[in-house]
Amino acid sequence: MRLSEDDSHALAGAPAAPTYLEDGTTVMSWLNTRDHKRVGVMFLVSVILFFFLGGLFALLIRFKLLQPGPFFLDALGYNRMFTLHGVVMIFLFLIPSIPSAFGNFVLPLMLGARDVAFPRLNLFSYYLYLAGAVLAILAMIQGGADTGWTFYTPYSSTTATQVLPVLLGVFILGFSSILTGLNFIVTVHTLRAPGLSWMRLPLFVWGIYGTSIIQVLATPVIGITVLIVAVERVGGFGLFDPARGGDPVLFQHMFWFYSHPAVYIMVLPGMGVISETVAAFSRKNPFGYKAIAMSSLGIAFVGFFTWGHHMFVAGQSTFNAGAFGILSMFVGVFTAIKVFNWVGTMYRGAISFKTPFAYICGFLYFIVFGGMTGVALATTSLDIHWHDTYFVVAHFHFIMVGASVMAFLAALHYWFPKMFGRMYPEGWGLVAASLIILGFNATFIPQFLLGNFGMPRRYYQYPEHFQALNVASTAGATLLGFGFLIILIYMTIALRYGQRSEANPWGSKGFEWLTASPPPTHNFDEIPTITQMPHDYRTHEPPGVIRVA
Amino acid sequence: MSPEAASLPEGILAHHFASLERQNEAMRLGMWLFLATEILLFAGLFTGYSVYRFEFPLAFAECSRHLSLTAGTVNTIVLITSSFTVALSIHFARTDQRRAAVVCLALTILLALGFLGIKAIEYTAHFREHALPGKYYAFEEVKIPGAAMFYTLYFMMTGLHGLHVVAGMSVLTWLLWRTNQGRYSSRYYTGLELGGLYWHLVDLVWIFLYPLLYLI
Amino acid sequence: MGESGSSGRANVALHPDDRHEEHAHSAIPYVVVWIALLAFTALTYLTGKQHLGAWALFIALAIACLKSALVALIFMHLKDSSGMTRLVFGTSLVFVGILLFFTVADVATRFRPATPAGAPFGTERSRPEGLLEHEMPE
Repeated sequence: MRLSEDDSHALAGAPAAPTYLEDGTTVMSWLNTRDHKRVGVMFLVSVILFFFLGGLFALLIRFKLLQPGPFFLDALGYNRMFTLHGVVMIFLFLIPSIPSAFGNFVLPLMLGARDVAFPRLNLFSYYLYLAGAVLAILAMIQGGADTGWTFYTPYSSTTATQVLPVLLGVFILGFSSILTGLNFIVTVHTLRAPGLSWMRLPLFVWGIYGTSIIQVLATPVIGITVLIVAVERVGGFGLFDPARGGDPVLFQHMFWFYSHPAVYIMVLPGMGVISETVAAFSRKNPFGYKAIAMSSLGIAFVGFFTWGHHMFVAGQSTFNAGAFGILSMFVGVFTAIKVFNWVGTMYRGAISFKTPFAYICGFLYFIVFGGMTGVALATTSLDIHWHDTYFVVAHFHFIMVGASVMAFLAALHYWFPKMFGRMYPEGWGLVAASLIILGFNATFIPQFLLGNFGMPRRYYQYPEHFQALNVASTAGATLLGFGFLIILIYMTIALRYGQRSEANPWGSKGFEWLTASPPPTHNFDEIPTITQMPHDYRTHEPPGVIRVA
Repeated sequence: MSPEAASLPEGILAHHFASLERQNEAMRLGMWLFLATEILLFAGLFTGYSVYRFEFPLAFAECSRHLSLTAGTVNTIVLITSSFTVALSIHFARTDQRRAAVVCLALTILLALGFLGIKAIEYTAHFREHALPGKYYAFEEVKIPGAAMFYTLYFMMTGLHGLHVVAGMSVLTWLLWRTNQGRYSSRYYTGLELGGLYWHLVDLVWIFLYPLLYLI
Repeated sequence: MGESGSSGRANVALHPDDRHEEHAHSAIPYVVVWIALLAFTALTYLTGKQHLGAWALFIALAIACLKSALVALIFMHLKDSSGMTRLVFGTSLVFVGILLFFTVADVATRFRPATPAGAPFGTERSRPEGLLEHEMPE
């Protein structure tokens, strides 16, 4: 059996069962949904909203930094800006983005399942996310925190700003993340279609699976850490306060035990997206499927051994610094394996240079430079010079924006027809991608230079001779902002007026393309039996036909 | 609908699972993953404990001696027994002895209440002696550096544990009601099993808290 | 729905727990474990009161681990569970170990003379009157 009759009707454009979008159009049908696709869409809308909020904070920071002296914001206001920028971007955008938006939508489809393992828990994850977001917004309205997103003690336990609601918001958001990860792990274990063995899983699933492992194991630790700081603020308990015998470095250990693996939560799903789209837009089988799959697990586990590289100058022992420095080198190997395999996939492929592919190119360039500067920073002796300078800021923005956001945009454009049954305007897509890649370089390459010249991060004022590079960076950020704005505009228009797409406009061999675009609520009329490797472009069927039993 | 599912109370098998066996497997795996997160949550406090016991060994030993060893030991026995009774209740449910299952669950909840009661007595004593965390510490009998830190950790660890006891009790009460309604039997008892797993975790944490706090 | 049976372990009778259904599930293991747990509690209580110095912590933790193993394997049915649930439990313990190891290793290997003066800890390991390890009364 190839495609079911109903699906081929969908290919011809005549809808069979109502799509998940049409199946119940009241507000309550969305708020009370058990459908993973609707939960995914709600997450998508929310994370995009917060992306723009975090971006606004970033532009305000960059605007202030046009001038070396006091300008536009006062010092406390500036501290609040970079804190909120970090908190919103990390906890309200990056951590949930690809897993909760695209993972939710696409994972069950890729597994040939009708939903995730625990649909009601999935909805609960979304409400926890909203609750955490509300707390963070309440804190912002009252002025926000000024501690930096890293909440280092004893400043965070004693400063008078609105740290408490932010901490509680982070705690709740953490549980949203944990429950999503838990749901995905159980889904991959128990809801795979017949014939879908582990070594036939799509590479995006491997990426999400690795991410979910990190979410489940690491997030509780930041949960308890922020809880302790919250209790310290309220009760003066002093677990991290030197005045009461506490050790501030202990806070940093506990904080970074989560926050380093967290950066892999932020980038690993993106790597999964790149694996999917590289194969689809090169029309070629992944160069080393097993290597890519296993390296996702490698990143998930080895990422836990490296957190002390954030603390080289914090006062931890030399033994620890040495151990963490060496261990941090290992984790780069897995990313290198992936990059090698992606490039190998593209080599001699039949490249289709559509917007997702533009983002793939951006991703590859940014992750190589971001990753290499990361390895450089992991070298203890070099980090002594670079720690807490703009060099670090540029490094992590190369990964967080250059890699993760590029991957998010690749996913958005690749799966837009799947999710909404319409195509975005390809020309505008390439225009926006170019602006973003250009703008990104203009924003952050000056920051590498600034950091290397010694400009510290989170400083309100800087020496005059750094101004030129700061102005360049702000100009780049403005360009970057325009790029994102263009995407928002054409995507919103495409939702309503975009050209209706066929079920598989990319000719992709991904399993999620087996069903209609947009899919019906129950995903598949009949659960497929998988008999082939994922991303298998060696077969001779025409594009859009995936052989199943 | 598979024949086994047809004989179950309404709505047990969800539509997206291939079989009841798969669903049970998913529920167990999900609960164990959740327990893993709880283990790591407590691990943060155990980490703080390890660091500060290393830094203040004398203070920790001294303060430990001022805790009521009797209360701690009795509480350990109480929780171990409650683990036993909840395991028994699952055994009785899956062998279709509903009444015995209900009795065992009720016993578990009573033992949990007993645990909380003893802890309340202990806390009252600490309050009276001003053996309190952080800036409130004014315990006359132990005045060396690190003593306040011991009590900070003591209250945070037993406090978080106590919250989990309360949560566990709520879950067990709800399960007691459902068991009484006949929802769990040899055909399906996974929900009860999951509640039992959570309760065992509460016991596991205390198995470590007891020697680390009371027997330094 | 009409999909074919799930791949692997499709036969309900072969489910690990169903082994018990073939002969009536016994409560005896639970009673045995309960008594063992009480015995181990008595043991840890007695050894705890001895104040065995450096060995005390090791013995207490070893007994606690034994008790936990009994609770996990028998009460929580890990012995009869799928490999995945055992892997989940084991992995969580491994990561607790990683967190503990590096954090305690940090405080254990710090160069004390470099700690700022006046800190309540971290100069010599805090003792009254600044006693060193070998000068401790115990």
